[in-house]
Amino acid sequence: MEEQYQQAIRYWTLAQPVVSAYVAAVVRDFRDRDDVLQAISVAVLEAFSSYDPARPFTAWAMGIARNQVGTYLRERKRNRLIFDAETVDLLAVAFEQIDSVQTRKIDFLKECLAKLEGRARQLCELRYQNDLKPAAIGSLLGMTPNTVAKSLQRIRDQLRQCIERYAALEGGQS
Amino acid sequence: MIPDLVPCELIDGYLDDALTADQQEELSTWIKVHPDHARTFAEAMLLHDRLRNTLAAYETPVAMHRSSTIESRRGGLGGSWLMSSVARTTAAAAVLILGLATLWFSIGTQTASAAIRELDRIIVNSMRSKDRTFEIVVEDITTERRGKRSAMPESQRPPKPPLDGAALYVRSGNQFVLVRKTQEGLPFVTGSNGQQSWAINTRGPVRVSADVHCFDHDLPGHETSVPLTNLHEGLQQLKVAYELTFSALGPEEYETGDGHEARLLIAVKKRKERGPQRVEIVYDAISGGILRMRFVQMPYGPDRLDLRLSLVSQDDLSSDFFEHTSHHVPDRKIEEEN
Repeated sequence: MEEQYQQAIRYWTLAQPVVSAYVAAVVRDFRDRDDVLQAISVAVLEAFSSYDPARPFTAWAMGIARNQVGTYLRERKRNRLIFDAETVDLLAVAFEQIDSVQTRKIDFLKECLAKLEGRARQLCELRYQNDLKPAAIGSLLGMTPNTVAKSLQRIRDQLRQCIERYAALEGGQS
Repeated sequence: MIPDLVPCELIDGYLDDALTADQQEELSTWIKVHPDHARTFAEAMLLHDRLRNTLAAYETPVAMHRSSTIESRRGGLGGSWLMSSVARTTAAAAVLILGLATLWFSIGTQTASAAIRELDRIIVNSMRSKDRTFEIVVEDITTERRGKRSAMPESQRPPKPPLDGAALYVRSGNQFVLVRKTQEGLPFVTGSNGQQSWAINTRGPVRVSADVHCFDHDLPGHETSVPLTNLHEGLQQLKVAYELTFSALGPEEYETGDGHEARLLIAVKKRKERGPQRVEIVYDAISGGILRMRFVQMPYGPDRLDLRLSLVSQDDLSSDFFEHTSHHVPDRKIEEEN
């Protein structure tokens, strides 16, 4: 029992970034997002005994995530800022196809974030640490919302390129 | 490359919660056009979600942020010749207060959200079937109307050995064993196997009840939905009735022994809610496993206790450890409670 649990935790640790990103993609309220993700992690652990090791674990966990997300979205179907069922399904398939190499690459984010300085770092923190939208950030920093949005877009591009560089470097060394 | 700009902007707009309903519809249509589009969006979300999880896990240097952002805002206000100095000062103050309030509330919300995520990790870890052994230390007892007194057996209850120094063994499914020592050094054991509860005094029959909560009053917390014998239930209550914050602990503050970082989650009771005034949980930053818990002003009959539970072991206990038969000689008389 304990060994099975340890295995479930190991698998879940690897699959969790993908499932979390999928939930974040379709559940916009971050408090709800946390609740949905918690419900999924509990359901994954509870159902682990029925998991067939011949199948990819992430795809199996995504199946549970789709059910939980589906329940959540059905309760909020009138909100126009939520993707329709077809888009949610297509996204679920896309997330299922993200492989472990890609999720491991994202681990380099920490190194890349450490390289961010000055205004870029400040924008990143205001957006992701303080959860401010571009308009709010703009009013605090004396920038237009559009400038903030463009800057955030550039910062994410820089981080993506930095991650790719680290991944290529590691690939070259191994 | 220009045709790609629009979807890129739509994706970034989505990440920053800046799309209108029509733009969201546009993004949705674009995703449906080709599986590669859905994949591009998924990859952007992967980075976005990790960014949020990584940055939200750090404690915000709130004061520094607030002053630096307000200074920037202040710089943008000066120089309007149409405004009198009083009007300028008033307007500047209003904007500063508004900005401060906006940032304060958003920071508070974000910090609380990050703390809830940390608590969720602790809850998921606590649901493991793993056995845990805690040592209980009673730091202080305050008795209402009668002032403070030292760590003594609970007053106004049948005299029982003190909680101070007791060992608490817990397993999921409401299973626990609490071992206290009498003044003579003899064990006084209460527990539950999740289906029945039991108490083994130093003398007399073993009392067994089909009510799993029959001997709950031997431990504080059951009156206020923060039972020490059921970590999962107590942690869920923290989400509902407490304000949460968390911070990292340096090795000088808590040494985990395996090089992992330790974190401290602090839960402060909301007004009008019942339970301990404050709960502090030191946990493993990687696994979310509880290392130490501290309950401040925990109601216990007429008393308020300051309790500390320190994790002693996570070694597996025998499968029958939570049966009363494992804690007394076979020929001991058993008395069924109604």
